[in-house]
Amino acid sequence: MNRWLIISIYCWVGVAVSVDAADYLSDIKPVLKARCYACHGALKQKAGLRLDTAAAIRKGAKTDVVVVPGKPAESELLARVLSNAPEERMPPEGSLLKPQEVEAIRKWIGAGAPAPEHEEAEADPRDHWAFQVPVKVPLGKGAGNPIDILLEKNRVARSLKTQPLAERSILIRRLYLDLIGLPPTRAQLNDQRPWNEIVDELLKNPQHGERWARHWMDIWRYTDWYGLGKQLRNSQKHIWHWRDWIVESLNDDKGYNRMIQEMIAADELAPEDPEALRATGFLARNYYLFNRTTWLDATIEHTGKALLGLTLNCAKCHDHKYDPISSVDYYRLRAIFEPHQVRLDPVPGVMDFEKDGLPRVFDNHLDIKTYLHQRGDPKNPDKDREITPAVPAILAHFAPEIKPVQLPVYAYAPAARDHVQTTHLASARAAVEATQKELAEARKKAANAPKAQPKPKSSAPEPAPQFAFHDDFGKRNDELWEVIGRGWKFEKGAAHQTAATRDAERLALRQKLPRDFEMTCRYTHTGGSLYRSVTFRFDVTADRKYVNYVYTSAHAPGPKLHVAYTRDGASTYPPDGLVAQPIKIGTPYTLRLAVRGRLVNVWLNDKFQIAYTLPDRKPGGHLELSGFDATVAFDDIQIKSLPADLKLTESKNAAPELKPVGSVETIEAKLDAAKMKVASLEAMFAAEKARGDETAFQKASQLAARRAAEASKAVGEYELKAFATDGKKVKAARAKIANAEKLFAAAKQGKGTFTPLRAAKKSLETPAHKESQYPTVYPATSTGRRTALARWIISPKNPLTARVAVNHVWLRHFGEPLVGSVDDFGLRAKRPVQAELLDYLALDFMESGWSFRHLHRLITTSRAYRLSSSTVKTDSRTLTADPNNFYYWRMNTRRMEAQVVRDSLLQLAGVLDTQMGGPSVNPGDAVRRRSLYFKHSRDQQDKFLKMFNDADHLQCYRRTESIVPQQALALVNGQLAIEMSDLIAKRMEGDDFVELSFELLLGRKPESTERQACLKALDELKAIAKQGGKANPDQRARRGLVHALLNHNDFVSIR
Amino acid sequence: MDMNRRLFLGSTGLGFGSLALSSMLRGAEGVSQFAPKAKSVIWLFMRGGVSHMESFDPKPMLNKFAGQSINNTRFKYVQDPARLKKVRVVVVNDANGQQRNKIYPLQIGYKKYGQSGIEVSDWFPHIGSCVDDISVIRSMWTTDDNHGAQVQFHSGRHMLDPRVPTIGAWVNYGLGTLNENLPQFIGMGPRYFDRSDGHYLGPAYDEVRLKIDPNNPLDYAKPEGDITGEEQRLGFGLVNRLNRLNQKNYPNDAALEARIKSYELAYRMQTSVPGVVNFDTETDVTKKLYGFDQKETKPFGQQLLAARRFVERGVRFIQIMHGSGAAGAWDQHSNLKAKHSELAMQVDRPIAGLLKDLKSRGLLDETLVVFATEFGRTPGSQGSNGRDHHPYGFSVWLAGGGIRGGVAHGTTDEIGFHTEEHPHYVTDVHATLLHQLGLEAERMEVPGHKRLEADFGHIIKDIIV
Repeated sequence: MNRWLIISIYCWVGVAVSVDAADYLSDIKPVLKARCYACHGALKQKAGLRLDTAAAIRKGAKTDVVVVPGKPAESELLARVLSNAPEERMPPEGSLLKPQEVEAIRKWIGAGAPAPEHEEAEADPRDHWAFQVPVKVPLGKGAGNPIDILLEKNRVARSLKTQPLAERSILIRRLYLDLIGLPPTRAQLNDQRPWNEIVDELLKNPQHGERWARHWMDIWRYTDWYGLGKQLRNSQKHIWHWRDWIVESLNDDKGYNRMIQEMIAADELAPEDPEALRATGFLARNYYLFNRTTWLDATIEHTGKALLGLTLNCAKCHDHKYDPISSVDYYRLRAIFEPHQVRLDPVPGVMDFEKDGLPRVFDNHLDIKTYLHQRGDPKNPDKDREITPAVPAILAHFAPEIKPVQLPVYAYAPAARDHVQTTHLASARAAVEATQKELAEARKKAANAPKAQPKPKSSAPEPAPQFAFHDDFGKRNDELWEVIGRGWKFEKGAAHQTAATRDAERLALRQKLPRDFEMTCRYTHTGGSLYRSVTFRFDVTADRKYVNYVYTSAHAPGPKLHVAYTRDGASTYPPDGLVAQPIKIGTPYTLRLAVRGRLVNVWLNDKFQIAYTLPDRKPGGHLELSGFDATVAFDDIQIKSLPADLKLTESKNAAPELKPVGSVETIEAKLDAAKMKVASLEAMFAAEKARGDETAFQKASQLAARRAAEASKAVGEYELKAFATDGKKVKAARAKIANAEKLFAAAKQGKGTFTPLRAAKKSLETPAHKESQYPTVYPATSTGRRTALARWIISPKNPLTARVAVNHVWLRHFGEPLVGSVDDFGLRAKRPVQAELLDYLALDFMESGWSFRHLHRLITTSRAYRLSSSTVKTDSRTLTADPNNFYYWRMNTRRMEAQVVRDSLLQLAGVLDTQMGGPSVNPGDAVRRRSLYFKHSRDQQDKFLKMFNDADHLQCYRRTESIVPQQALALVNGQLAIEMSDLIAKRMEGDDFVELSFELLLGRKPESTERQACLKALDELKAIAKQGGKANPDQRARRGLVHALLNHNDFVSIR
Repeated sequence: MDMNRRLFLGSTGLGFGSLALSSMLRGAEGVSQFAPKAKSVIWLFMRGGVSHMESFDPKPMLNKFAGQSINNTRFKYVQDPARLKKVRVVVVNDANGQQRNKIYPLQIGYKKYGQSGIEVSDWFPHIGSCVDDISVIRSMWTTDDNHGAQVQFHSGRHMLDPRVPTIGAWVNYGLGTLNENLPQFIGMGPRYFDRSDGHYLGPAYDEVRLKIDPNNPLDYAKPEGDITGEEQRLGFGLVNRLNRLNQKNYPNDAALEARIKSYELAYRMQTSVPGVVNFDTETDVTKKLYGFDQKETKPFGQQLLAARRFVERGVRFIQIMHGSGAAGAWDQHSNLKAKHSELAMQVDRPIAGLLKDLKSRGLLDETLVVFATEFGRTPGSQGSNGRDHHPYGFSVWLAGGGIRGGVAHGTTDEIGFHTEEHPHYVTDVHATLLHQLGLEAERMEVPGHKRLEADFGHIIKDIIV
């Protein structure tokens, strides 16, 4: 089938109607715009063809015409949109044009492709407003806040009249909630000082940093880590260091330009400043164990959206459809980030990275290459063309040059740091001290001990004679068993314990068992009360203070099988020795027990139950059968030596071997090893310190290598003594010694090497890696790529950065941004109504040294910020002309963010814990810290916060404000609100409870109708409480009123 | 009233659909775009990956070629690399999600059921008995070879793409409410790791999670403190009165109006919801139908009975997932026979009970029931007795709500590897479901969030009455 045929059919069915330029504008141009302009418009002109004006369409491509006016059948344009052949169809992606769209084109061509008059081509994307450097318009002569001057200019042009200023107490509440995220006290509400003094005081309040840090945490996608068990999968452990950096930076009024540089490249710009390194949590947060491309995609996408307002991510699989950003631009950005990885640096005094560590980035793979992924497919890189690092070409003219950075030793060799050396040496020296103590005790004990007795072998393989025992309990046999207790009856082929007791009634086997044995016993729980257990004890000493045992229990709430032990008369029931098992009365069970050394395996009815390692064994004890709170029938028992070749299941518990007091000789060897470890560390640290001076380093390395060999040998010698009885370990110790001797010899010849201490912990690049395969010393240079990127972002010539930032700040003071799409300033963002204001603020922000404090002050001291949010008495013209308040003739009412709702409840109740910083805390109603300290991740979010549109950890450039019944239920029924209502009511001092409550909770006095409603409710609540016989009806009624006011619309609103 | 404010775009749901606001915006019928066949959806999702060959797409060839390497059989062609390309890997070099070449025989028998004679495995005899009311789709495919496919099945987007709203959220977005006292989008059972549905539609479109516990069916359903019912009622009254009085000062404040309505609804809801999960009024016969008499079937049966009760009361979308654990319980990399038979037993009777109960009450015509899973399992064995993840071909089924009965639509090849006739991407199920609800997928788009063609899917016309 050829396409001409299809077209001719279309021609035939087409009915001639007059088509004019208006039809082109209404039916065709929108289709071309949506489907074709990306490649044939201002952004790109593939084949030299533009379709953005009728004239251009008629002009055609570089070499061909695409439209023959009046002759649709000869027009390539129509042929292409009709084709379904992959190599010719247009548009090449997505669905084909709809039949009615094609038909409109056909008719239009048939009518001679009439062009409208004065049709303008799409503007050059380079001319887009947001890509031009902002300019300050002259403010004119009038004095006053520039914000008000610029807003008023636009209002006057439209004859819009502003509302009056809001009531002062409402204003103060607004200011407190905006600047510190906590409501004012009544005294603060009545603060009579000049407005700017209050503003300045709040801006210097450390709680201001906490309030605004949470905003930036939204924008910068703060998230705590998640993973499986200890395995890190996303973000970083201890990422809270970055959160603290945000809070502190805001409180220090660090310039935003400096903040950006630190977040993207502190490791290059301030490599020896751990405080600044915290900032790179911005990048480290994107860590993703499973997929490097996902990780880097997130890095590129959100660096673009958060800092530049560019949707760079849209250029991953193809050139950007709207903005002048190519796919190559995308991979150039990837090349900037390609070398970087994440590691935890040690923090002073902590050796365990599970406890603490500083997440930071560093350039790890300096020579790694970047290729363009064709159509975004990582499996399909274009290897013919290496992509070099660069910023997007459209704004590259002011990009600084990329220069590699030489790093100090501190940065690339963490073991050279003073605090690392101090901590590790202190730990090694503590080990020496502890061993010295141990030795002293051993010597004392040895001196007091009676003459040496033969040492019982503890764990050597036991070539014991074959042991075999069987009893079917056909009759009582006192030669085999010592029968203790009066409940025992031997009848019907079983030994019955007929008394359910906790006394030590038991059958004790007279024969002694071999160390390694296997027991199989068939028995039935026949009754009893409470625990209803049947117990199999072994290794029972004469005083019965030492026992190992297994029991099954038909205890109703938690029937189970359990391995346990008694030491010095005290029983331990280890949780990892327990298997929940529905043991039933009256059901026969066969329990099989295999014991080898400390390892115990248990089966029930041939089904494997558990492997457990006992803390130790004491040979020579007895075996005992008994019930505990239980009557029981033992039917049959077999015991034999455990065959040496029988494979047992290893246990998961690592019950530490109870340390026997070691021999003096062993501990002396241990002490030697501990001392050698100190010496080895000292030598290694000296070598680390010598890094950078090649001769000194070489020399120190040899000593370090020698000391390391000596230390290793000393450990081997110690192990040889300590594990004298364990063949495998002895062999390993000998090998260790031999190896150490070899290393020592090499070092003596000047050919020694030492392994630097692993003082940092790099996050795995993929789950297939092991930490041990990574070097412990990192590259001494960094590519400088991220520094160049950061400097480009903060260049005063960058038209985006400051605009995007002030837009975010404006949004959070006024409830609406100046540019609606806060993360997209690309071509889809039309020039905003308040463009002059935006530009003024952006320039003023940069001129102030990128000071947020300056910006907040400018905004909050404006008249616009202080307008009333009410529309009462609004000029009706204004209301009709601008109902959406685009011109800020009033303040917008906003709902508190989730964190502010919760923090306010705690603050008003006087229970807010104002402690700043530190590890994130688990969410929950009982926590009293500010909400920004909650763990916030894929797997952890506070339930209460979630109801109030908490930040989405994946992307939250702007909070959603929903109004739904669950918020009502959370505030009406939630524990937090109820508890806080009670506390708030109790704190209120004064006569007029209604007025006090209104002021404190809503920031204004009640009107008379409101007062009456409240008084009536108080009376009713009190009456109900009295009727119900509740304690303290007054307080209960007051709590009720406070609780209602917390549910008042204006409590969660910032008016 | 000023309804253009952004906050309302995201405020019309939270699983409460159009209760407070969208009914004001759209009227009770929401944005239904043409006459609907179904009013509600019960979405049953088996987490972990149900073996299609051992459920709804039996493959005798697996028995015939058991133990042979696929490459040594005439089915070698299935492993043509070009045919394996679609998959996008999240967890690079994972031990799971691999090709398994040794053909593993069926671990259970199967037989024909009903007049249609559709073959169903012996692990699902009760569902089998309903097969004449069901359209089985045996030709599903997806592109994620790991459990991120659960995200994909609900949203249409691969795990490596940005998160977008799930089908439940779209339904909730598109439809108006039928009951102003209940949430419109309810979730029960173990959720996959992404716990949001609304995404860019906002948390207002997330499912409302319920537990089968009349005393505590949803978060904050009753006071977590010493507050009596009477006190609470008085409190609600006072809040309402004060908010109304405040309207004098803020006459054009739509948020205030919405808040007042949300409190009215909250009050009604906290009394309505517990009643729905209270089964006292259900007969023993009904309870038995859902498997209340067996401890294995009771938990799932309770959720399904609750689902029917919600459907009766006009709730639009009830999603119930089965199979807990990070990956989902159906993930039988080993021990397939024992575990699949155990899991199938937990759901088989209750699901059949649900279908029969809906039918006998005349509700099946207007209730669409979906049975789905994220992918199938490999025709080859993993280890000695398991099957790996299989995104290239798997089965789901639909019933009720204008779906034809006794239809087996689409096929996989003889060993269940690739789809053959009528392949369907996961969003085709979404498109079909939306169509039955009277919604046109393409019309549901929010400014600033371009949807792709694949997001919309294609209606599976062959299974529609």
